[in-house]
Formats: sequence, C-alpha cells, structure tokens
Amino acid sequence: MADDLKGLPNIASDPHDSSLSHVTGRSEYIDDRPLLKREILCGLVYSPYARAKLKKLDFSESLRIPGVVGVVTANDVSTNMWGTIFQDQPVLASTEVQYAGEVVAVLGAESPEALRAGLSHVTVEWEKLPAILSVDEAIAKKSFIGEERTISRGDVVEALKKSPKKLAGIVKIQGADHFYLESQAAVVYPKEDGQLEVHSSTQHPTETQHVVAKACGVPFKDVVCIAKRLGGGFGGKESQAAPIAAFAALMAKKMGRPARLALSKDDDMVITGKRNPFQIFYEVGFNPDGKIVALDAKLFSDGGAYADLSTSIMERAMLHSDNAYFISNMRVSGQVCRTNYHPHTAFRGFGGPKGVALIESILEDIARVTGKDALDIRKLNCYKPGEDITHYGQKVENNLLPGLFEKLEIDSGYRRRREEIKAWNQKVIKDGGNPRGLSLTAVKFGISFTTRFLNQGNALVIIHTDGSVQVSTGAVEMGQGVNSRIASIVAEEFGLPISSIRMMPTSTEKNANTSPTAASSGTDINGAAAQKACLEIKRRLAALALRLKEIPKEKWPSKTAGLGTAPEIEIAKDLETAHSQVSFENGKVVLKNTAFALPFAELVREAYLNRISLSEYGHYRIPNLGFDKLKGKGQAFLYYTQGVAASEVEIDRDTGEVKVKRVDILMDLGRPINYGLDVGQVTGGFIQGMGWVTTENLVYNQDGYLLSHSPSTYKIPSIQDIPRVFNANLVHNEGNTVNVKSTKAVGEPPLLLCLSVWTAIRDAIMSCRGNEIVPMEIPATSERVLRALAPEEFQDL
Amino acid sequence: MREFSLIYLNGIRKEVRGIEALLMLGDWLRKEVGLTGTKIVCAEGDCGACTVLRAFPQGKSNSIQFEAINSCITTVAQMDGSHLVTVEGIQNGDELSPVQKAMRECHGSQCGYCTPGFVMALTGALEKHQSLDAKTACNYLTGNLCRCTGYQPIIEAALSAKQSEDHSVSKRYLKKEATSELIQKQRDSVLIKNGFSTFFAPATLEEAVHFASENPGFKVIGAATDLGVQTNKGKPLPKNLLSLHLISELYEVRKENKRIMVGARVTLSQLRREVEKTNPEFARFLNLFASPQIKNAATLVGNIANASPIGDTLPFLLVSRGKVHAVSIEDGAVKRREISFPDLFLGYKKLALEPSEIITHVSFDETSQNQILKIYKVSQRKDLDISTVSGAFLLKTVSQGTGKKIEEARLAFGGVAATPVRLPEAEKALQGKVLDSKLIQEVSELIGKTIAPQTDLRGSKTYRKVLAMNLFKRYGREVLHG
Repeated sequence: MADDLKGLPNIASDPHDSSLSHVTGRSEYIDDRPLLKREILCGLVYSPYARAKLKKLDFSESLRIPGVVGVVTANDVSTNMWGTIFQDQPVLASTEVQYAGEVVAVLGAESPEALRAGLSHVTVEWEKLPAILSVDEAIAKKSFIGEERTISRGDVVEALKKSPKKLAGIVKIQGADHFYLESQAAVVYPKEDGQLEVHSSTQHPTETQHVVAKACGVPFKDVVCIAKRLGGGFGGKESQAAPIAAFAALMAKKMGRPARLALSKDDDMVITGKRNPFQIFYEVGFNPDGKIVALDAKLFSDGGAYADLSTSIMERAMLHSDNAYFISNMRVSGQVCRTNYHPHTAFRGFGGPKGVALIESILEDIARVTGKDALDIRKLNCYKPGEDITHYGQKVENNLLPGLFEKLEIDSGYRRRREEIKAWNQKVIKDGGNPRGLSLTAVKFGISFTTRFLNQGNALVIIHTDGSVQVSTGAVEMGQGVNSRIASIVAEEFGLPISSIRMMPTSTEKNANTSPTAASSGTDINGAAAQKACLEIKRRLAALALRLKEIPKEKWPSKTAGLGTAPEIEIAKDLETAHSQVSFENGKVVLKNTAFALPFAELVREAYLNRISLSEYGHYRIPNLGFDKLKGKGQAFLYYTQGVAASEVEIDRDTGEVKVKRVDILMDLGRPINYGLDVGQVTGGFIQGMGWVTTENLVYNQDGYLLSHSPSTYKIPSIQDIPRVFNANLVHNEGNTVNVKSTKAVGEPPLLLCLSVWTAIRDAIMSCRGNEIVPMEIPATSERVLRALAPEEFQDL
Repeated sequence: MREFSLIYLNGIRKEVRGIEALLMLGDWLRKEVGLTGTKIVCAEGDCGACTVLRAFPQGKSNSIQFEAINSCITTVAQMDGSHLVTVEGIQNGDELSPVQKAMRECHGSQCGYCTPGFVMALTGALEKHQSLDAKTACNYLTGNLCRCTGYQPIIEAALSAKQSEDHSVSKRYLKKEATSELIQKQRDSVLIKNGFSTFFAPATLEEAVHFASENPGFKVIGAATDLGVQTNKGKPLPKNLLSLHLISELYEVRKENKRIMVGARVTLSQLRREVEKTNPEFARFLNLFASPQIKNAATLVGNIANASPIGDTLPFLLVSRGKVHAVSIEDGAVKRREISFPDLFLGYKKLALEPSEIITHVSFDETSQNQILKIYKVSQRKDLDISTVSGAFLLKTVSQGTGKKIEEARLAFGGVAATPVRLPEAEKALQGKVLDSKLIQEVSELIGKTIAPQTDLRGSKTYRKVLAMNLFKRYGREVLHG
C-alpha cells in the first residue's frame, strides 16, 4: 500500500461529462424547461401545525382570481397512499395532518403572480391536536414505526458485568437538511390515451413513475419518468421526489394541461424530511488498556410522521456501530420513533454516520479514562487479522484499516501536533486563549443496499452506424459523476475515446424496474450492467471480425448486402470464443497476433448490414449477498470502502465559534475510474458532513414548524469555513476485484469522516476541562460549545 | 420622463417596461429573456446562484467596472442605466473563458446548479485582478454556496484561472456609445407602472421630495436586498417605490470637519474603499460583513433604514455619533433635518422618521488617534450570516502613569434588545477610570445585568448575555495588551 495514488499513470481524470454545459449555463434542469403556452404553475397548501384536523378547505375565493385555474385535493387522488417500505403516507392529506408541512392541496395558476395571489386567498381552518415532538416523548408513549431489531454477538450482559472498566451515556444527534441547490421539482406533460410524461428531479425514477401512476390511477406502462440531471440529491430525492411529481401529475391529468411544480427553497425545507435525528443510549466495557470487550447500545431514531426509509436507515446505523473496530461482545438494537415532524429520509451515509458517531465518541471517552491517546485506543481496537469478523458475522476482507491509520498518523504529523496542542492547551488553561483539539477517526462503509433485491441494475447500450454510442442506465446523474464513470467504462470496453459515448437521460421507458441511485451504488451496479451489455455486443462484433478476415473485402456486406449478391455471414459458431482473439483499442478492432485491424465504425457498419444487433440490454446483480434482517446475520455487503481523517480545530474561547484549522484525509477507493471526480466526492462529502456536525441547526417552533428554512437561518458551510489546510489523498489498492473495474464506491463514505471534526471539538473541550468526559450534541453549535467549555459563565444569568 | 428602464444585457440594448420591469432581475432573465443559466435557489441573496455582473456608469465617475450582484433580489427597473452580463455572455465564440475552462478542468462543478454563480463571481474577480490567490478568491466567493464540491476544487480553479484580454468583459461590453447613452439617459426621470405598483426614479432630489409628500407610505428602494427578499417570500411590492439611483449627488462620500458624510446611494463596497484611512476599523469590519454581491449593491443608508435590531453597521454608528440627514417638503419648501442615532430607533423595525421624509445621507465621526475603536460580530457561521450579537466599543483615553485613563467611553450592541443600544450605565462606570482587568470584569458584569436579550433561533438569551460580556472582555484585553 503506502503509495498515494495521485499522479499514478492510467488513472483518468476527465472533466465531468456535463462540465461544458455547467460552466456555460446551458445545462438544463427541470425549471429551465421552456414554459409551454398552456402550462400550469403549481403551488402547495400545507399545514403550519405538527398535528391538526383540517376543518375547512375552501378555494372559491382563490379560483375567482384571474389566472388561477384549478385545484387538486385528496378527492382527486386515485390511490392515496404511498411509501417506499411501508405504504403509510397519503399523497395528499384529507382530514388530518401529521406534520407541519404536510400538503393538503395543489393550486394551479397561469403565472407566478396569480399563483401567489391564489395561495394567499385559500381559506383553511385547522384545529390543533396534541403532537409528539421529541424522541423522549415518542419512547414514553411507545409511538413507534416498525419493530425493534437487534444485532448481537457474544454475551454482552455477562461481558459487561466482568468488564474492569465501564462507561455509560447518551449520544444526541440532530438531523440536517440536504440543501441540494435545485429544490424539488417536476414538470408533467399529459399525452394521448391518458399517458403522462414526467420530468422529475428524482434519484429514483422508477419509484416516482410508480407513485405517479398509482396516484393518477393509470397502469405503470402509461407513465414515463425522465431524470436528465439533478441539481444535487444527497438522498433527499430518493423517496421524497415522488409525491412532488405526483402533485404535478395530478394537476396535469385533471386539467389536461402541462403542469409544473418547482418548490421554493423555503417550501422545500419545510415540507421535506431531513436526516433522521438519533438518540443513542449505551454502555461500554473495556480493559484498563482501552480494549473494548463489550458494547450494549440502544438506538432510537426520529422517523417523523411516516415510515419513509427510516427502518432501513436504522438498520444501517446498527450495521455501522462497530465502524472500524472489532468488538467481541456487542448488542445493538434499533427502534424508529413516530413523531409529528416531516418524514425523515435518506441523507448521504444513511444510518451510517449515526452508528459511527456513537463508537468514535466512545473511543474518545475511553482515551480520557485510560489516559492514553485516542489514536492509540483506536489502533488497539481496529479490525485486524484474527479480529476481522463484524458483529453481524461478515468477514472484513481486503482490510486496509490498520495501514491507513499508520500512514495518516505519519503523513499528518499527528504525534508532533498532538504534543504541540497539549502544550498549547496547557498554556490556555493557565493564561487563557483559544483551546485546540485534534482527532483522527476512521470509516469502514459497507457497500451494497442492505435490502438484497435492490442490488440489481440494468443498462441499454446502443451503437449507431457511425460508431458513436448511446448508453442509458438506471443511474441518475446528480453531480457525483456517475455518467462520466459509466461512459469511461463503456469507452474502455470498446476502445473508443470518451467523446464517442453519449450518456442519455435516465428514463423508465429505457430502464425499468431500477433501484434508486443511492447507497453509493450508482456506478457499481449500473456500470457493471453497462459493461455486461458491452461484452455481449463485443462477442458479436468479434465473431464478425474473425469471419471478415477470411473473406475478401469485395464480398463484405458493405459491398454486397444492398444487392444481395453474397450470402450473409454466419457468426453463431464463433460467439463463444471469438472475443478472446480480438481486442478493441484506440478506435480499432484488432485480431490479436495478426495484422488485421478495422476501424470500430467500419466494423459496426458491416455488422448492421449483416443484420447483427448493435444494441444490448445488460442486467447485473451483485453476487454473494445474504443478510437475514430478522436474525441480523450474514453477508450484508459486497465490500467496504475505508478511510481515515485527522482534523484539528480551534475554539474561540469568548464565543464558542469553531474554526477547522487543518484536515488530512486518506481513503481507499480501490482503483478509481476517474481520480478528479472521486477526490471531489471526498472533499464534498467531508464538508457536507462538517456542516451537519457544526453550524447546521434545524430550529422548530412549538408547533413543530421549521423556522430555519432558508440559507439566511440554516447555515451550510461557506467557502470561508473549509479548513485552512485541506489534504485529501487516496491510497493505491488494486485488490477490490469483486467490483466493476476494481473500483470502490465513494459517494457516502467520506461524509462519515467529518465526525473527526466533532470528536476534535470534544477533544479541545475535554483537554481544557481536566479531561473529564463532556458530552456534545450534534451539531456542536457555537452556543453548545461555549456552554460545554465554560458552563460557569452561563450560571446566574 | 421615460417609461422604461434602459439596460445593455450581454451587449444588447433593452428597454424594459411595465410588468416586466418590476420583475426580479433573475426571474426576468430566466422567464422573459430565456437566459436560464442564471439560477434562483434561495431568492434571498444568500447563495449566489443568481450572480450576474453589473457595471453602472454613474455621472462623474469615468472608471466603471463590472461587479457581481445577486439578480434574485433586485428588480429590473433598478438596473436602469446598467450594463449587465450573465453566464451566457462570457464565452467568446466557441472558446470558454479562462474561468469556465478552469472550473471545468479542476472539477469545480459537480451538480452544476451553483456553477453559473461561481463562474460569474470569479469572472468579476478577474476584472479586478489578473490572477487570484486563495484568500482573495475566497473573499470574492463568500456569497456563493456550493453543496457538492467542498469548495476545494473551486479554489483550485480560481488559482489556475488567469485573466485574458480577449475575455475581459469590460473590454467586450463597455462600449463607448452604449455607456454614453446610459449616462445621457440618466438625466430623464423614470416612471414605470405594472398595474399595482409605481416605480419612480426622479433625476433630482426635489422631484423625489415632491413624490414623497404626494405619496405617503412610499418606500425608498435602494438595493432591495431586504425588500426583494420580502417580495420573493410572498409580500407584494409596495404601491409606491421611489428609487434615488439617478440622483448623482447621493453617490458621494464627503469628508468635512472630521465627519464623514455618506450619500444614500453609496454602496458598502464603495464605502469601504472611501473610509479605509479615516475609519480603518470600520473598513476592516466592512470586509468581513455580508457577501461581495450584497456589498456591491446594498447601501449604508439601507442598512439603517431597514431598522433591524441586528443591522451590522449600527453599533459602529452608535459609538461614532452617527446621524441621518433627511429631507421633506414643508409648506412647499424643502426642509432638511438631522436625527442623531440613539433618537432614530423608536422600537423594533421602527424609526423616528416622518412619513414623507427621505434619508439622503448618514454621517459619522472619523476615528481619531486617541480613540480605541473595535467592532465585533458573532454569528453561527463566520461569514455571510446574520449576527447573534454584535458590538462596537470606543474609548477615548489619556496616558496616566503606566495605564490609560478613560476620558470617554461609548459601548453599543446589536442583537441584545429590540433596537441597537448604547449602554450608558456601563459607559459611566468606565468614565474617568484607569482600565485594568478588575474594571473590565466589573463592567462586563454590569453589561450582563443591564441587557435583556431575547431567545430566538440564533441563540438563547443567556448565550447572548455571555457573548455581550465576553466581547467586552475581549475588547478590554485587546486594549490592555494591544
């Protein structure tokens, strides 16, 4: 290992396939589609209260306003119930709402001004009902979604009893808004015979298609859902894009006119769910040297009003509570709570960051108790040969974690900086000043959907007779560069320049029954499916090439097919063997060990004229998965993406403001298909996570209505917040042969490394508080930090 | 009198009238002109996705420059007299601009939605600098949010982009004939109606005052960095809008008798440049405050007239003996009036102005050699965030032995009451004393006892108290130890 990947030959770093249109402003998003003459603009009527009875809903005044054309309510919905896992959520609520932001009606108008006026003239009367607005309250009232699940190994109770040292505590974690720049949006065009063409900013075109079809009461075949590109998703458009598209579709269907719904940022933030808040109760036992012998953890999450994806998110939290560390006796149970907030949903990392926050926080605390450096505690507990079976029974193969710790310890100058910080904080304690903290955490992120059937993908590869190629897959491009990576895979298979490949908009008429572009799996499953399709076409082209070599050129299809002067070439008998004798490179098809070579485009034309199919549909399923959710045991993941990060922070002693001074990240991404795109995912994921653990604060009023619903009050990191020194490197690892092109998924894992910022803040606080254990909620806002650092200043005020 | 707003958009002359003229610039570009490269995300000037470049040739100034502004919170009418350039206007034929090329090659865009805004902000930066270092680049990009890249690739793009003559938007778009037409047309007042609102931009102050007296309840539209937000969030535009953008005397910063007199149309960017020598601490603070896009449009007078308790310049103005200068009509004659700062603020969002009065200037003291002035601001996020608590402290001292005797003390806070406040009790406690750590402690405790802040989503009242006390303590330490 040990090598950095930067500068290694043969790793591409081509610009994003949309980069040209991005920088020129020509990339088309939903609301950039030209308005049609009779298009209707939609707006939403939603509840300001967490729970309320809908006493009156009257549009007569609105509909009198010129330009206001129609309204859709629950009465217009065919099947008014949806949900990805449990179908428990109405598309439009009818008599009672369960969260502030729950939509009861869609209003349509011909101009933004008419829509605005129309919305302000809707008569709505609510009767407030008692609501559950905290996890504590939900636990007390046993307001739950789904059953409690447990994953367990060893005898935790006994091990805890015998454990020489013990700690117990609570970790509180708030949610976060996705803050994709493009808010939820859809345009729906009604077509003949009741068909609907849906353009949606969705990570899951298939589910969006299905939800729209059911809401409108039409068969799936009559709805086509298209997602060209998203202005960011991050999980927020995995499930929750579907009802937005349904709202527009219901209006389009009812009025027989095109309908557009593009949410304002404020409406989007109020209506849509966030990262699930978590509350984790734990007890941990460890030896005097810091080796963990038992962990008993009870995870509760706030699912919001409806199930959405929360039970799956909880499962991933439970599967990641070990993170990079071997814990011989472990019991982790999880229960989703039903509250009266917006239904919380997928967000980059899913449940992973919450499980990892728990164990990384515990390791930081163990360091305080043992008096050892937290990095030594982590290295002691890290998965290593002999200690490489997870609590759910999967072996950690291709385990790079110990090496990653070692390398980053050296590369980041950890030990030297630790000494400097110790000395600095001693001075701070004595003379005042700003405390500093340093922490190095890890990530071991399981790649695969934990729900087995989602681990399939399909792709359609079409070669045109000029030799250019169109590829359609179920993957949705939302900035992560999945299309660029798939294009690279296809280009490499055919030996073509990447400019010969055009990635087509994701559409359910080309790729049906797809999985969401989620769980970091986009390239893995869709890229592998595309590769399979390419291989099939190559078998046919190779067989033809083999036969062409034997035939004089004047007998080739291009000279004979038009008039039918020669028989067609039969390729069937060579299909199984030919491809091993043929290579596709530099735009040519070459018969190995011969001088015979044909330009790719020429061979393609001969193939067409010889009636050989130039299109192929590939279907891929991830092999060897077998996780039993009820037993909590089995092969949950195909492989793990791993990494480590060291973060240094400084806290303003007077205000609690945190400055992240330096971050060093080291990740194993296997063999990247595109270096630049992968590093962009690493820096982007990290900073996104950093916002969650520091400045992003969701504040609700007593009615459960989100107050911080725009960037003036909800503060995601700005360019000034990124670390002054920010190193993101990848290690060289060609060993992940189980995955397409030996690459590793990158979307989510780097986000989890942001927890090093949070633990560094705790390090700084605890170092200046006599090494007592000081809990810290996520996010560590300035106020929370100052309260933890100087509680005495808050007394008697 | 004109019934249109005249602009040059990507070099093309446009007369914008009626309903279209009172749309927000970003909406107009996207929906009416079909230039959808400009994106609207927050519609409140906080994310920069809507960034476009504006050059406003103003009467006397002969050096005009393109500067980044937020197109989401300004009406087209207010852009009267401007050259505007959008992301569609910076490519030269088939050739990408240096910024576009760098953003592409450095992976500076992922989902692409924020990208046009970043491209335009960086293009604006390269109009002023041939190349950028990281710090300068970040300062130009404080007003642009990206959720995908973690900014690192964008900084790399900024570092690698170099200005080229072929791509300078000034060279390409600031054509002499166009500019002289824009300047010449500034002599004509503008009157635009959209059926509900009237937008009036008089060429003289006298006309303005008459309009004000005839239309009580009128609203002066400055940069609309607040008004635009309110409109976007559902509040209709006021019925009568008065824009002072054609009145050239209001673009001046005058220095007389150790006072700085700032016209109503002076932007915060211009102000920072003008007060660098006379009020260095205020200039430093203006650097940290808001985004470049906001500062290139928003005015000091607007920050005051908005009457918010957390206006970031207000504590400074309170300790620098700030005054506003207002005009109105009385008995047919123009009447001028000065209102000093403590008297200006009557309550939450309430000013001591008559319904027909227009603020023309604000004035404040130069910071003199024997004054120790510091301005502080605490917010959840360091940059481009509304403050939780802000403070400005000024001491006039004379040396006494080894210490400093305080001749006069002025302490002001924002965010601790319904209006920005001075703290006379604490000031009195400092007067005539020699500053030492004991006195700092005593006064900070007094501050804690005097103020009664509220809890809101930016912080609890207790946190605000602690912040106010700690900011004063920090000031004390800085005064004592330099």
